[in-house]
Amino acid sequence: MMDMDALQQEINRDRRAFIKKVLRGTIAGSLLLVIPAGAMDLAGVPEQIPGMRDETGPFITGKKFAFVVDITRCIGCGSCCVADRNEYQVPEGNYRTWVERYIIDDHDNVYVDSPNGGLDGYQEPRTDIPYPVRDTFFVPKLCNMCEKPSCVQVCPVGATFQTEDGFVLIDQKRCVACGYCVQACPYSVRFINPKTKTADKCTWCYHRVRKGLLPACVNVCPVQARKFGDLNDHESEVYKILHLPHVVSVLKPDMGNKPSLHYVGLRREVV
Amino acid sequence: MSPEHGAAVAEALTRYIFPNDLHVHWSLMIVLYPYITGIVAGAFIVSSLYHVFHIRALKPISRYSLIFALAFLACATMPLLNHLGHPERALNMMLTPSPTSAMAGFGYIYSAYGIVLLMEILFIYRPTLVALKEKAGGFMRGLYTILTMGSDNLSPRALALDRKVIAFLAGIGIPMACTLHGYVGFIFGGVKANPLWATPLMPVIFLLSACVSGIAGIILSYVLIRKFTGKPVDMECIRTCIKFLWGFFILDFVFEMLELFSHAYMATHHWHTLRELLWGPLFGSYWIAQVGIFSVIPFFMLGWLSLVRLRDTTVRFWGSVASFMILVQVLLMRWNVVIGGQLMSKSERGATYYHPGWFEKEGIIPSIIIMIMPLIILYILSRIFPLWQTDEAAAGEETLG
Amino acid sequence: MQPDYTSKYNAHLIRIIVVLVVLAVVGIVVRAMVLPESFGLYGHYRADAIQDEINRPIRNGTNASCLACHPYIRQMHLEGVHRTVSCEFCHGPVADHVRDGQVIALLPKKQGDEIRTLCLRCHNRIIRARPRESIKMISMPRHLEEKHVRTDHICNQCHNVHAPLMWVKQAREIVGIREDKS
Repeated sequence: MMDMDALQQEINRDRRAFIKKVLRGTIAGSLLLVIPAGAMDLAGVPEQIPGMRDETGPFITGKKFAFVVDITRCIGCGSCCVADRNEYQVPEGNYRTWVERYIIDDHDNVYVDSPNGGLDGYQEPRTDIPYPVRDTFFVPKLCNMCEKPSCVQVCPVGATFQTEDGFVLIDQKRCVACGYCVQACPYSVRFINPKTKTADKCTWCYHRVRKGLLPACVNVCPVQARKFGDLNDHESEVYKILHLPHVVSVLKPDMGNKPSLHYVGLRREVV
Repeated sequence: MSPEHGAAVAEALTRYIFPNDLHVHWSLMIVLYPYITGIVAGAFIVSSLYHVFHIRALKPISRYSLIFALAFLACATMPLLNHLGHPERALNMMLTPSPTSAMAGFGYIYSAYGIVLLMEILFIYRPTLVALKEKAGGFMRGLYTILTMGSDNLSPRALALDRKVIAFLAGIGIPMACTLHGYVGFIFGGVKANPLWATPLMPVIFLLSACVSGIAGIILSYVLIRKFTGKPVDMECIRTCIKFLWGFFILDFVFEMLELFSHAYMATHHWHTLRELLWGPLFGSYWIAQVGIFSVIPFFMLGWLSLVRLRDTTVRFWGSVASFMILVQVLLMRWNVVIGGQLMSKSERGATYYHPGWFEKEGIIPSIIIMIMPLIILYILSRIFPLWQTDEAAAGEETLG
Repeated sequence: MQPDYTSKYNAHLIRIIVVLVVLAVVGIVVRAMVLPESFGLYGHYRADAIQDEINRPIRNGTNASCLACHPYIRQMHLEGVHRTVSCEFCHGPVADHVRDGQVIALLPKKQGDEIRTLCLRCHNRIIRARPRESIKMISMPRHLEEKHVRTDHICNQCHNVHAPLMWVKQAREIVGIREDKS
């Protein structure tokens, strides 16, 4: 990081020149992708996942991505849900990602809620809990990106598929919206998008990742509760979490779907 | 724990549902789809009892049940097409059926079964159609020419060939009818994420309930049509049908209860979910309606009708009532499986609700229209294929209607 | 009897088999014609669907994309404890603001109660469930009462939303100097 005063002086001297310098520094040597009209201008944005803009093949070859959610860090602010809604403009009442609030009282009763999927944040405390609270935490939910995805298995037309780099995606031009994948997903991350009338779900922001940006929710999380990274990179945080001693688990392991989404500090009460 | 606290805790424990589970994706349409295919499979089994297993008493309805099956088969895709978000892409199912999907086989199984059923009808009806063609003129003559495949050959040699073809078609028709409907059961039974659906017994239960609904549909419609056209009802035939209906219903009901009992006895975490569902939002439609009223009562009624020697009018009336109740039972069973299974959220902590609207796209009025369609098609088919025959030799001499 | 028939005894069976074979052939030909070009290239799906997904427009940028054009905010934001807070969380996605290097619209600026609501999404103590060490928690209106200000004050009257402690620190310095003098 540049010294702040020096940076400020430079900015003050010539703003335009500063931006040009940023641009040159960050895109030099990397591939400029063709962005369809209406997209954000990617040119000035530095890569968040180094090397991704050099990946031009149909599949990501150099990296093996994993998603880790640290529920000991999540503060339930709902930034992730807001970013997701902004990115995909999913109609109200459907959720690509959401945040659940768990409250466990000293009688071991579990209270869970997720008003509007946590999109509006948690502004009010729960007032309907009769006993002292023993434990309370937030659990963000998103696509588990299973290694053995039941949605891909059941899709009758091959509209939902798994890429060789492990992403489960939906072909919006072939989906008939039969809803079988919605039924088959053990995690209820799928829905029929009322706007496109096709199945829809979290993609871990595949389009952003392929252009070197972090998933929208990871990018906005103020407390790094959502982590996305490359398991081939042994210095990455996700590698360290998954390969060094940590309390890490997946949701519904008995479903046999082998999720690539891992949770740090997952409690047994969470489904 | 005070009662108020207890109630508050119980509510909190059963309240959370995943935000995407609020909406029930498989609507009334997906209740009708297995109902209609079940009736098709069941009606075909009735005709096979005569054509393959030579139950002579069923001869009066052996042809009618095939036409009945065809009328319902023609409508089986209607609820599906109305349900799809992109019905114009429906043929993707035939174009690129996924080998791993339980649903992908539908297009081909449905088409193959449709072809077999149509072929069987054409071969069985051929002598009748040849005779009708001679009497008909204009459009109907052209239609009969097509339906008889342009052949008027009714020589003993040709009829012997027909008999062989019919035996073959009826023979492969039985496993195909079973496949068509057992497979519909598997579409549900193979969904591991849904504890109400995920059971290997699901195809068996669907198949047995299909036979039951088909036989009941045949009995009820046969009695009603004969009554309204002022023709006598063949009582031997009806009594035999009622015995078969009772037999299949014993199996069906026992398997339904066995499935539930196994779940309850093993009492895995799935059972705790199911119990909340069956004693919660499904209590009325499952315990009271499906089991209490529309299973137990017709169960004993059918036993009484089968075992006690009763007057014809008694058998005719109460047999029809029992058949109607069985038809309702199977519809309720489809509802409780399809809708009930979706009410419980995959959070296993709460249930949503589903009340179909009258006028919405997949609501009650469209459902009624879809259920009336097979009857209209049956009427149209009856103008082409005479539904009744008194004797094989007299075929062709009967007039239409 | 035999000579009356115009067709052979098996003519109908042959014709029907021919019709079925023709239907099957037509089906195979039509399938080959309408099958999407890239279907099955890598698996049982349309390979071009991957590119379709990649081409989905990006609507959220990163803080870097915002701060590149807002140098004054940049300095404040990066120096303050809110440096990890996303610009777009409060202001909206950059795609609604800039397109093809041109400003197309201004993002709405949060005012009054909207600001309080945004602040309390993270800092509201009564929503337990939050790890205490990671973030500062306050109770409303107790916080305002403790600070001896009116309870209808909006958070940004004391806290710069980009660097919440900036003005507080400055005020302390000033107050500290005054206290030394008195």
